[in-house]
Amino acid sequence: MSENNEKKVHGIVAEYTSVDSLLNACRRVRDAGYKKTDAFAPFAVHGIDKALGIKPTVLPWIVFGCGAVGAVVGLAMQIWMNSIDYPYIISGKPMISLPAFIPVAYELTILFAAFGAFFGMWALNGLPRFSNPIFTDPRFDRVTDDRFFLYIDSKDEQFDEAGIRQLFGDTGTDYIQTVVDDDSSSKVPKGFFVAWAVVIGLSVIPVLVVLKMRLTNSNLPRFHVFFDMDFSPSKDAQQTTTLFADGRAMRPDVAGTVARGDMLIDMDFMTGIDMEALTQVDARRAERLVRSFAEPSPQQAAEQPPVAAEDEKVAPEDDPAATDAAATPAAEAAENNDSQGEGSDEAETAKPAAPVAEPSVMDTTPWLTENPLELNKELLERGQTYFGIYCSVCHGLNGGGNGLVNRRAQKILATKWIPPSKLNQSTLAQDVYPDGKMFNTISNGIRKMPGYAAQITTRDRWAIVAYVRALQQSQNASIDEVPAAEQEAILKQQAEVKKQLEEQAAAEAAQAAAKPTEKE
Amino acid sequence: MSLAIPNGLDNTVERPGERAPLVLGETDYHEITETVCQVAERKPSTSWVIGFLISFALLQWLGICILYLFYTGVGVWGNRSPIFWGWPIVNFVFWVGIGHAGTLISAILFLFRQEWRTSINRAAEAMTIFAVACAGTFPGIHVGRAWLAFWLAPYPSLNLWMWPQFRSPLLWDVFAVSTYGTVSLLFWYMGMVPDLATFRDRSKNKWRRMAYGVLSLGWSGSSRHWMRYEKAYALLAALAAPLVLSVHTIVSFDFAVSQVPGWHTTIFPPYFVAGAIFSGFAMVLTLMIPSRKMLGLEKLITIRHLDNMCKIILATGSMVGLAYGTEFFIAWYGQVQEEKFAFINRAFGPYWWAYWTMVTCNVISPQLFWVKKFRTTPWIIFIITIFVNIGMWFERFVIVVTSLSRDYVPSAWAYFSPTWVDWSMLIGSFGLFMTLFLLFCRLMPVINMAETKSTLAKQIHLEEHGYGNH
Repeated sequence: MSENNEKKVHGIVAEYTSVDSLLNACRRVRDAGYKKTDAFAPFAVHGIDKALGIKPTVLPWIVFGCGAVGAVVGLAMQIWMNSIDYPYIISGKPMISLPAFIPVAYELTILFAAFGAFFGMWALNGLPRFSNPIFTDPRFDRVTDDRFFLYIDSKDEQFDEAGIRQLFGDTGTDYIQTVVDDDSSSKVPKGFFVAWAVVIGLSVIPVLVVLKMRLTNSNLPRFHVFFDMDFSPSKDAQQTTTLFADGRAMRPDVAGTVARGDMLIDMDFMTGIDMEALTQVDARRAERLVRSFAEPSPQQAAEQPPVAAEDEKVAPEDDPAATDAAATPAAEAAENNDSQGEGSDEAETAKPAAPVAEPSVMDTTPWLTENPLELNKELLERGQTYFGIYCSVCHGLNGGGNGLVNRRAQKILATKWIPPSKLNQSTLAQDVYPDGKMFNTISNGIRKMPGYAAQITTRDRWAIVAYVRALQQSQNASIDEVPAAEQEAILKQQAEVKKQLEEQAAAEAAQAAAKPTEKE
Repeated sequence: MSLAIPNGLDNTVERPGERAPLVLGETDYHEITETVCQVAERKPSTSWVIGFLISFALLQWLGICILYLFYTGVGVWGNRSPIFWGWPIVNFVFWVGIGHAGTLISAILFLFRQEWRTSINRAAEAMTIFAVACAGTFPGIHVGRAWLAFWLAPYPSLNLWMWPQFRSPLLWDVFAVSTYGTVSLLFWYMGMVPDLATFRDRSKNKWRRMAYGVLSLGWSGSSRHWMRYEKAYALLAALAAPLVLSVHTIVSFDFAVSQVPGWHTTIFPPYFVAGAIFSGFAMVLTLMIPSRKMLGLEKLITIRHLDNMCKIILATGSMVGLAYGTEFFIAWYGQVQEEKFAFINRAFGPYWWAYWTMVTCNVISPQLFWVKKFRTTPWIIFIITIFVNIGMWFERFVIVVTSLSRDYVPSAWAYFSPTWVDWSMLIGSFGLFMTLFLLFCRLMPVINMAETKSTLAKQIHLEEHGYGNH
């Protein structure tokens, strides 16, 4: 294109129609001493590298290097992850069990080597390269179809347009062309950038949302598209479910099984009642009692063994009239109302009070008079521990009935508060208040006191009974009952404690005087 | 046979001292370009449109089933104790197996200088990638919480504070299949670049030219580029050959490394690889026979190509049959009670129908290819390959389900029944496969033009300069 002389000339290209003519031309160009040459063909022409004097590529070394890196990375990754950073022991194999690490290392070797071959080839070829002056000639489009081209670059030392045209002419080509700069616009269409920006913008949004969620705090509960395994919603009592055919979320015991703690071994031990005697006095009640243990209703099975349920809700024994009024109906209520394990207030109102003259069921029950457990130091210490945990908050550590809860109730003048019993009072002495009865009271509660059967095991309740007996004795004892060896020490300690208490009382009084208004 | 070959030449006949032509007709380079490009450049045919609509509908159905699975949980499948693997894993192994033919044709046949591969390798490689995509879907959704499938990757997780367990074959499988998918994709794409450049240079439409221009990376056909390209291609083939053998080996480790009777056998790796090639070639033929007709590629995919592939099916089918026999022999010879039971149970237990379907389709039907008439008649090949496909699906079903349904503890035995979701996903995965394949036929060069031209160049060279002196 002589009219385009002002344009930069990149080189000269000649067209051939067959492999043989191309190879022939290549050889002549090579022999003429041209170095910066290239041939273009629709397929890989065999022998062209020799004909043009192209040097072998370093690609195999790149691939080898990448493969070696892949092998090392694969092995190092597995050893570090599974043997060093987070050591797993699997099937008793050694920490670094090479045979098991081979497959992944093998795959990574191939993967890295393949990346090396693929990307290395494009990089060595200088591709992608979308703007190439050789493409300016429309005739060059046939290079990917059925035409072959030979090209000499203007950067070649011997470059001389006329000479090359002459040389090409001799090789039997009928098309020789100068390759010049592309004068078409190199601008990428605007729409392309817009589309690119939109795609990038949209793809960044989810990442940003995730990042924000991970990096900021929120008062809202965690957002779950799908719930994880740590989310396991539980049903409340009486709710329905679709999981079971009967629609009940609360499941009855499996037929023929006994729930933990419901094993019926020793009824005397579990109820505090001499069952043999009870059978003689009131066979129906004894039978009912056994049945209530043997076939607990589903709720009871889940929550609380119905220890002598019918004996609950008796009135305070300080007031015999009330005791009589409440005891019998409560006993009957348990039978009628097995969905509610405890004799309920409802039953009390439903059935009017029995004649006052009838003796309380609490009095006629043949309670065990002695603790069925062997008394020893270990048992008493156990009792002391559990008394401290469960009883002392109301009854006080010394059983004097002035625990923290009671003190608080007195302080705020709670109107419905019934003060807890002083455990050392004479009405609770062993001869009038048998061990079995006290066990029953602990198990099922009395007045404001709830039953503790659900929280304290049967054995520990008996241990508490034993400890309460010891407390009673200690509180009502005189110093003379203590062995002589211990007397002095006790007296000394007593004096010290007394002094401390006095000091404390004085300090509290002074504080109260200083802040007279401080009261709820 | 002469019906199928335009110029009446039967290239399945061996002539001593001559190489049978692989490109038929009075052809030249330009005609090859025309033949291949017209597939993508002409208007889609009615059969293509109908096929695409059906496949696309099935693909949508697969998507809906997957959403339903995510929403409801894996209980929508028939997977029940003790058969926890069920159809998802059957389908996974089935598709991975099919995915083996493409790379085998591209890599191993390339290394053995089997030039007849040139006109079928492109479509076979595409099929590999689409089959691996189908295969990858199933373990992905089978993990239970598919949205956490990325936990399989060894990344420094802030949630877990731990790493994957690299001594597990299931994790080897993750690496093997993903490496295989990646390398196959690179191989396929790299092989396509010169042909995409042909598409670019023939494009009349500006946008089409731009799209193919970007995809072809500015390929100019420079002989320096070709030299490195050929080297890279040979290297990738050399890398892909051991890879293709390792992938199904590792898939077989999923089974063989376990303790389940019927799985715990050393024959699994070679047996799985033979089965994979067998099923892959069957699928290539199943697709190639109708498409060469519909796309007008009979001059390039000749009867000789079909004949050669049938021979490979015959060889690998016989290997598979030998493996079935060996398994039984070893079960008896090993005298392990559970193992013996597992195999007798396969053949005569509650799944006897699956076992004998498998044997009929995989061992007996390919034996018909001993007869040349069957190897060179497209419709007979088509029917036999359909049988092989069915048989190979049943092989995986027999392995996965019969062994799991009756292992050591008889009180835990059960019979597997698939649900409608199982069926839908199997059929839907064919929708995914066919949608991708039909799109490929329309958008990409279905035959490797550059390599076919180079085969033609050799043919011309031999004709001009005579045989024997080269």
